[in-house]
Parts: sequence; structure tokens; C-alpha cells
Amino acid sequence: MKISLKWIQDFVDISDQLQTPEKLADLLTNKGLEVESIENKAQHFKNVVVGHILERGQHPNADRLTLCQVTTGDGKVHQIVCGATNHKTGDRVVVALPGAILPGNFEIKLSKIRNVESQGMLCSEKELALSTESQGILILPADAPIGQSFADYMGFNDVVLELKVTPNRADCLSHWGLAREIACLLDRPLKRNWEIALSTSSASTKSKIALEVLDSTVCPRYTGIYIEGVKVGASPSWLKQRLESSGMKSINNIVDVTNYVMLELGQPLHAFDVQQIKGNKIIVSKSQSGEKFKTLDATELTLQGTELLIRDAERPIALAGVVGGLNSGIQNETQNIFIESAFFTMESVRKTARLHGIQTESAYRFSRGVDPTLTLKAAARCAELILELAGGVAYSDFHDSNAQPPHANVIDIQLADLEERLGHTVAPASFSSWMKRLGCEVFTSDAAFFKVSAPLFRSDLSIKEDLIEEFARLNGFDHIPEKLPLTGAAPTAMSVEYLLQQRVHSFVRAQGYHETFHFSFVSEQLQKKWIAKDLIGLQIKNPPVPIKNPLSDELNVLRQSLFSGLMQTSLHNIRHNLNQGRLYEQGYVFDSEKGNYTQNWNLGFISWGSSIHEKNKKSQDLFYEMKATLETFFKSFLIKSYQFDALDSISFLHPGQTASIKVEGRYVGYIGCLHPIFLEEEKVRLPVVFAELNLELLLKGQPRKYRTKSISKFPMVERDLAFVLPKNMKAGDILNEIQKTAGTQLKSIQIFDVFEGAPLKEGERSVAYRMTYQDMQKTLTDEDLKSLEQLVINAVSQKYSISVR
Amino acid sequence: MAVDSNSFDKTFNEIALVEQTALQKFSQAQSTKELYELKVEFLGKNGSFAGLMKFMKDLSPQEKPQFGQKVNESKNRLEESYQTQNQKLMQQEISVKLSQEKMDVTLPGTQPLQGTPHPITLVIDEVVQILSRIGYSVRLGPLIEKDFYNFEALNVPADHPARDMQDTFYIDDTHVLRTQTSPIQIRTMQNEKPPLRIVGPGSVFRCDSDISHAPQFHQIEGLYIDKKVSMSELKATLTYFTREFFGNSDIKTRLRPSFFPFTEPSAEFDSQCPFCSGKGCRMCKQSGWIELGGCGLVHPHVLKSAGLNPNEWQGFAFGFGIERMAIIKYGVEDIRLFAQNDLRFLEQFI
Repeated sequence: MKISLKWIQDFVDISDQLQTPEKLADLLTNKGLEVESIENKAQHFKNVVVGHILERGQHPNADRLTLCQVTTGDGKVHQIVCGATNHKTGDRVVVALPGAILPGNFEIKLSKIRNVESQGMLCSEKELALSTESQGILILPADAPIGQSFADYMGFNDVVLELKVTPNRADCLSHWGLAREIACLLDRPLKRNWEIALSTSSASTKSKIALEVLDSTVCPRYTGIYIEGVKVGASPSWLKQRLESSGMKSINNIVDVTNYVMLELGQPLHAFDVQQIKGNKIIVSKSQSGEKFKTLDATELTLQGTELLIRDAERPIALAGVVGGLNSGIQNETQNIFIESAFFTMESVRKTARLHGIQTESAYRFSRGVDPTLTLKAAARCAELILELAGGVAYSDFHDSNAQPPHANVIDIQLADLEERLGHTVAPASFSSWMKRLGCEVFTSDAAFFKVSAPLFRSDLSIKEDLIEEFARLNGFDHIPEKLPLTGAAPTAMSVEYLLQQRVHSFVRAQGYHETFHFSFVSEQLQKKWIAKDLIGLQIKNPPVPIKNPLSDELNVLRQSLFSGLMQTSLHNIRHNLNQGRLYEQGYVFDSEKGNYTQNWNLGFISWGSSIHEKNKKSQDLFYEMKATLETFFKSFLIKSYQFDALDSISFLHPGQTASIKVEGRYVGYIGCLHPIFLEEEKVRLPVVFAELNLELLLKGQPRKYRTKSISKFPMVERDLAFVLPKNMKAGDILNEIQKTAGTQLKSIQIFDVFEGAPLKEGERSVAYRMTYQDMQKTLTDEDLKSLEQLVINAVSQKYSISVR
Repeated sequence: MAVDSNSFDKTFNEIALVEQTALQKFSQAQSTKELYELKVEFLGKNGSFAGLMKFMKDLSPQEKPQFGQKVNESKNRLEESYQTQNQKLMQQEISVKLSQEKMDVTLPGTQPLQGTPHPITLVIDEVVQILSRIGYSVRLGPLIEKDFYNFEALNVPADHPARDMQDTFYIDDTHVLRTQTSPIQIRTMQNEKPPLRIVGPGSVFRCDSDISHAPQFHQIEGLYIDKKVSMSELKATLTYFTREFFGNSDIKTRLRPSFFPFTEPSAEFDSQCPFCSGKGCRMCKQSGWIELGGCGLVHPHVLKSAGLNPNEWQGFAFGFGIERMAIIKYGVEDIRLFAQNDLRFLEQFI
């Protein structure tokens, strides 16, 4: 919200603040009305003054240029070359003297144009940034005082503050409202009371326009004045400037006045062309579902039956408090007008504005709450200004339906409550004084208990906490001492999920992976393209959760897998010539089933390329590295069994280099090398491996408790066995069989050598297993070991028909 | 059968001769290996001295001990000589080995890969660590949140102007992507018995994306609920936190009035600039202060919505933007770096 300090000066004396607006801005900010910027208009027009053309002559060396002798009140005659043609001797013009800096950082200097010195410049509206286009230079009225600074002449010697008004301070959405706040802060009197003695004719408004408010719960008050015989035209420059300083455009004198009064008092107003009010009747009622309405800017709305409308006898003529209708607005030929100054409830206006996506200054104020007592004052102020600027006669006997007169909130508060919540003592007089400066009435009998009646313009004050806040902000937070709370209660347990997340983070980082973060939303198209539709491998059954109002198609559904984020990031890094990387993300993926949304806590790993020392690792090498990380991960969480099975159903992964992962019998994720086609399409020449785990499932019931086991005193013995496996037989199956057969004396088993080629036949592999045996009770003898070995060999060769090498 | 003295002397000479030969050979050995082989040749199980024992059977009972003693003396001398000589050769060999095995210590070490935390996780963990020291425990909550938890219960009813403060991503009519971490507060108050001290970190979403705003970012917030709670305690908690977080026990904090629907009084919370200690620098735009977050006493409507009686319980709450904290603490220059995940950026957070 833009606030002109000159305008504020109309209502409260801040003349001592105008030279140092920063101080006033700091004060406002420190009291909760944050000033976002300060614009000093006068600075734009330094060395720009009103001048008088003594003589318009011809440039001696150029047909198209004029040579003007200009006075600017400093006793000198300035010779200025000018290329325009619309000026003549005797005109008042705007002169930029050397040293002026015009908008666009254009500095005026003494110069020579075609060998003739030019001591300044005559300005056009465009050069002064007053309009975007202009023909010729700006000719001022003949009474413009020669030598006056252009900023003063135009009233540009103003400071405009841009305020961020919080939603609870609707009372500050006007110059009057902010002046009232400044008066409170600086403890100064207000200069106006808004008792307007409007001169009216004896004719009755009510005889011209009938009013019927059918829905007084959402329109508790409706004030209207009929004005006859106005002359629609341009607004005077002071009015234009004030609108402009608040960021509004001038339209015509009638509309400008309604906007002006809104900016001044905070009451939105609307002016109807009476000729367009059918049946000379205004009806305030709800819309009918399906009803059509065209707004001022010719947008056609289909109404839903919930909006409050202003109608004439036949049709809607305004969307109450939001926007006027195209059918009844002020035209150049309009003569008789009806001024509407009403109070509509905030919920109603807000709903309508949101429903149709219309944001107007009026809707903004109504939906934050307008002072319900303002309607009559604002209507009178509006009529007063219209009579002054557009002529006409205001009819008396105004409409002023006041179905539910508002009543003040009276709030009980104990001084002890205030002191307790702030943590320091408060003098009763200090509290009363601040409340009164705010405009409250204060009643107290014993200085420990107060009844505070809040002013009607502060409808946000309704409970004692509101008053505590007001006192704290006005008295200043700096008075509050610092004292840490003393509690008798023990801390509660940490979130298990958070503790597990921390454990996962430290484990994965120690494996050399860098943590990444990606948005939870992704492009539906990319997710489809990359992850494909039938996600049997990923065990995703439902379509992704869409966002109703996405920022763009790039981010329109919630992610179902961590793959797209990690892959995009890897591509980014690979394209920046980072030829090796390991990244991970621990984050949520989303699913929905029948309107229930679930988030799954996932862990994704991606690894590509080789370091300078490793040279040309293949995708298999990366696969086994990552697999080892996963296996160690499972062990670190005391997971007893896990299984990797060949999987060929994930479209972005290599069908021969992918495994599903089961942990203790449950599917928890997958690992695989990227599909060669995928890499080809993305022009990646490095091997890439990806894995994703569902930690929600994997870490269910974690952390597990454990007790240490005793260590055997008897020696450990190693025995090796190599089997020859035909093509497609899985080394892991044999390993499982050995484990199953060998029993508790087998402490560990590892595959330590895989060999292909002569003397083996084509397609055969020799896989060597190293078993470590140990008994808790005795030293294992050669016989024991031999019989264990025989047991293993028999079991494996019977089940798989293979032999020991 | 008697043995003549001649043969006894001869036997003795034989011992002396073997010893002499051995000593000479020992002294000429070129390596510990050769020396060891010589030792085996003379002193081993099948060595020369063992061979001398064959004379034993020809000696008289009186001569046998004398013979044995001579042999032992001789063997001991040889053992001693072996040790000396071995020591000498070993020294030589090791010094040769040392000079041969000299390394170029300037060649690089074998690098194990070192992973790093994302700055967001880093800051969350730091904040949690600081607050857990004064008894706060972490609570988490869902990212797709019910309108009730994200707005209604936080004193932001539908069609209330405070909804304008946050541009919301909607999933359906009753679900949103949470715009703040505050729903965690409501869920905790509903499910646990006060007194409470909790800290809730996590992702939040707003649909106003530009150069300085990402559509998804992170917040962390604290909630303290007890019988009596004051602004004074809130202020002290924030000062403790700020000093710990910036590792500077001198910096001051200040509160500025503000508005949040869920707290009253509400305040913005500033810290003295940790870079210039309040003197004014580029980071704090010469103001000496840096805006950190929002805070206030929990609004009675919020307590009520969460099932607590506002006449019995009071509370304070505070919250920060994690990215902003990372920007201030680690000097990150562009908010887009957080979601870009460039390795050259990530690697810096050790």
C-alpha cells in the first residue's frame, strides 16, 4: 500500500518528519507496519523549473530546429535549442537546466547543437516520464509561476512510503487510517473530524431511486446519494497526482473521486449512471445460479448463486464490493449519478473475489474488513468533492439502511495477565494511556482490572491477547527482559523416524555418497517418459497425485520415485564434465488410493563413471559396488536376510543388469544399471547405476535391539570349494544351499573367485566359495571338516547336478 | 674294550678342527641366508657336530663327560659367533633394503570417497542439536496436509484474509501441500500430553516462485507448552539459540511486532549481524541486524483447536527458514543452488 506523506499531512501534523522520512519509516516498521520502500519524488526533478519563452527564433544552421530565449526567474536569459514545433513566444514551458538528471538517468549538460550553444532543454511529457508518448514539448498553463521548481509546481515534492500492511490491520489501508496510527504513535492530535456539511437540494434521493436490501446479513449497511447534472470530464492535476502517488490511474472526475475517497478514508465506493438503472430501483440480493454478469472490463461471469449482487429492477449492475458492471458505469455523457457507499461483510466479498479470480482495490479492502461506521461520512465526502469538481446538485434524504448497527467489543483484562505474558511489570497508567491513544475507552476501578472498549475501526481487537499484543508492540519489545523457562518436565523421546533418518544419512555419506535435495513435484510427462506406465518393478500401482494449481507443467504431479530427480541432477553434473559421482537422496514419494494420500520414505542412490585411479569401470563394476553398499546397509540395521533376484521389468534399467531386492521376505526396492537406450537418448557415455529402497518398509520396527554373543575359544578353520556352474545358474543360489546345509558351525561364507574360459567349456563358470567353520564347544577335527564338506558337496550336486571343480 | 689315549686326543683335535673351520666359514659368509645355511651345516641336526657324536661310543665312562663338555663349549662359541656375525650381516642387509625401498612421499594418497550432507540437512541437524540440549524433541509430519491442520486449526479459517499470506498448492478441496511446518504443532498437541518442547523440521511449499523464492523450501519450528509461558522466556530461548547457531556468545537479538494468525503477540525475530557483530556490513545492508524468523505466544484459538484449554495451558512458538539460515551461515549466494545439486557446490559442505 502506497502512502503519500503530503496527504497524511492533511490529517496529522508531520511537518517535522518530512525532511527525514527514514525516521518515520523506522518508527512505523518498529511498531508493526513494515515500510518496504521510501520514494522521494522531488529528487527526480532537481534543476527542472518552470520557464517562459521570451522569443522563439530559428536556429541559424538547421531548418528543423528552433532557438529559444527563455527566462527561469534567475535574472538570466537562457538560450536553448529545441526540436519541437508546438511552442511559441510567450509559452510557459518546463526547462531542464544543466545539472538536471531526467528519468532514465539522462543528465542535462551545456552543449553545442550545430555550432550553437544550448543552455538546457525544453521537456516533453515523455522526457519527464509523465506519459509514455507525447507530441512536442509540454506547454504549461499561462499562470504557471516562472522559476518555480517543477516538482513543487506539480506537487511532486512528496515522499511516498510503500507499506506492507498485515491482514489484521485493515484499519491502516487508507491515508486517514494511517494518519490515525501515526497520531497514536507520535501522540499528536488529528486535524479533521469528517463532519461534512454537504449542501443539498431539498429534493429526495429516495424519490429518485428506491432501495431494497434483501440480504442484510452480508450487507448490514447501504448508503446512497443521488446527484443530478454532473459534468463528466478530466480530473484536476492535484487529484491525478494523489491517485498516481497511490498507484492508481486517473479515469474521469467522477470515478477518480470515488477512488480518491477510498484511498483517503478506506471506504470503497461505486458510482452508477442513473440513466442505466432500470426501474429506478436498487436491489441488494444474492445471485441466481447460472446468471450472467459482465464486469466493467467486459469479462462475462457465470454466477453460482452465492455472490451478492447490486441489481436494478431487471438485471445485475454490480458484483457487490468487488467490481461494477459494464452496463451501468459512468460514461462521458453521464449526467445523473448514484453514489453507493456500503458495508459488505469480509467473508462474502472475499469468497466472491476468489471464486471469480477478481482482485480489485475495493475487494481487497472489503475482504480485510472495512470500518462499518464509515459509509455515510464517505458518501458525503464523495458527494462534496463531486459537486466541487463536476458540478451538479446532491439530493437530500439519503439512503442509509442500517440493519445491524455494529457494537464495540468490550474486553476484560487483568494487569496480572499482561505482566505474566510479557514477563515484566507494567504501570497501570502506561497501559491505560496506550489503550486510549489507540482510540479505546478504558474503565478501571482498582488499576488491576480493566474493561477496554475497542474502537469500531479496530474490529481485530476482540480478546485480551489482542490487547496484550497492542501494548507489547506500542510499549516496545525491547522492554522485555530475557529469562529462560524453568520446566519441571523431562524431555520426551525423539522422533524415531528422525533418528533413523540421521543414521541413514551418516551411513550413506560414509560410503562416499553426496546428499542431494529435489522438489517433491516433477513433470508428469517426464515421470511418464522415464519411469514408464506399468511399474511392476517399482511396485507402483496408482497414477501420480496431481497438483490442482501447479506453477507449470514442469512441476505438476507429486513424484512416485526418486529416480527422475537424481537422474536429472546426474545429467546436470555429467554435462558439466564431472565424470564421476555418487549421489543420494533420502526423501518422500507419494501415492494415493481412493482419496487417501500416503507418503513413502525412500532412499535413492546413483553412481556414475570412474575416478582417475580406477579407470574405465564398467556398469557391472558400479553395480557390484553399489550392491555392496546396500548389503552393508542391511547388515548395519541388523537385517537377517536379504535377497537380490534378477528383474527385467523396469523400463529405464538394463534388463540383464537389474535386481529386485527382498529383505526378510518383503520387496523393498531395486538396483540396476541404466538401460543402454536411455543412456543413448540422453547422450551419456558413462556407466550409470541406480538403486531405490523403500525405507518405510525396510526400517519398520527399527531400531532393533541386540545383545552381544560370546566368542568361541576354539580355532576357526577355512575351507574352499569351487563348483562349475552352467550358464544362467546363479552363484547366489548355490551359496544359499551351502549355508542351509552346513548348519551352525559355518560362521561365514564368501564367494572369492569367479572364473570363465579354458579349460572350462563355453558358458561355464567356476565359482569358488570360502567357508569359515568354528565350533563353540570344541576344536573341529579333520574328520569333522571332511564330513561337513561332504555334506555340502552332496547337497549341492544333488540339487543342482553340478560338480566340484 | 679299552680305548687308547691317542684316539681320545685325536677326537679332541677333531672338535677343535671342526670349530676352527666353522668359525672361518662363518666369518666369510656374505648374507644372513648363507650364514644360516652354515649354521645348519655345523650345528644342525645332521651337521658336523652331530657327526662328532659317533666318537662317543669309543670313549671310556670317565672320558665321556669330558668329551661332552668340550663339544658343548665349542658349540656355544660357534653359536655366539653366529649371533654376532648374523647381527652384522642383518644390519648390512637392512641398510641396503632401506635405500632400495625409498618412496616418493609426494605421490598422492589413495583417496576413499567422502560423502557430504546437503546444507539443508546440515542446518536442520545443527538446529535440532542446539534445541535438543534444552530439552526439545523432534517431531515430523506429512507433506500432504489436511486443510484443518495447515490452516483451520492455526486460526486461519476459510475466506480469512490471512490466507493471502501464503500462496497455497492445492491437492483437492481438503488437502494442500503444507505451506508451513506449523501443522506439526497441532498434531503433537493433539496426540501428546503437555508440557511439551518440540522442534519440527521439514519441507514446505508455496506457489510463488521467482529468483528469491523456491516453490519448495524448508522450515524448522519450535513449540513450548507449559502452565505459564511468557514473551520473556521466548526471547531468552531465541537468544540462546542464535548465539549457539552462529557460535558467537555476544550477539544480541531483538523482536519486532508482526502478525501471524497462530500467535499473539506475534513478532519478527532479528539477530545482530553475525558477520559484523552489529557494526553494519554488506550482508546486513548496513543495518547491523539480520531477520531470522517469526515467533510469538501461541494464540488461544490454536490451543483450543488442538484440544488444550487456553486457561490451563500457554505456549510460545518460533520458526525459521532453513535455506535462509544456510545462506547467512555459509554465505550461499543463490537460493537456486540448493535444488541444483551441483557436485562442486555439494562437496563444500563437510
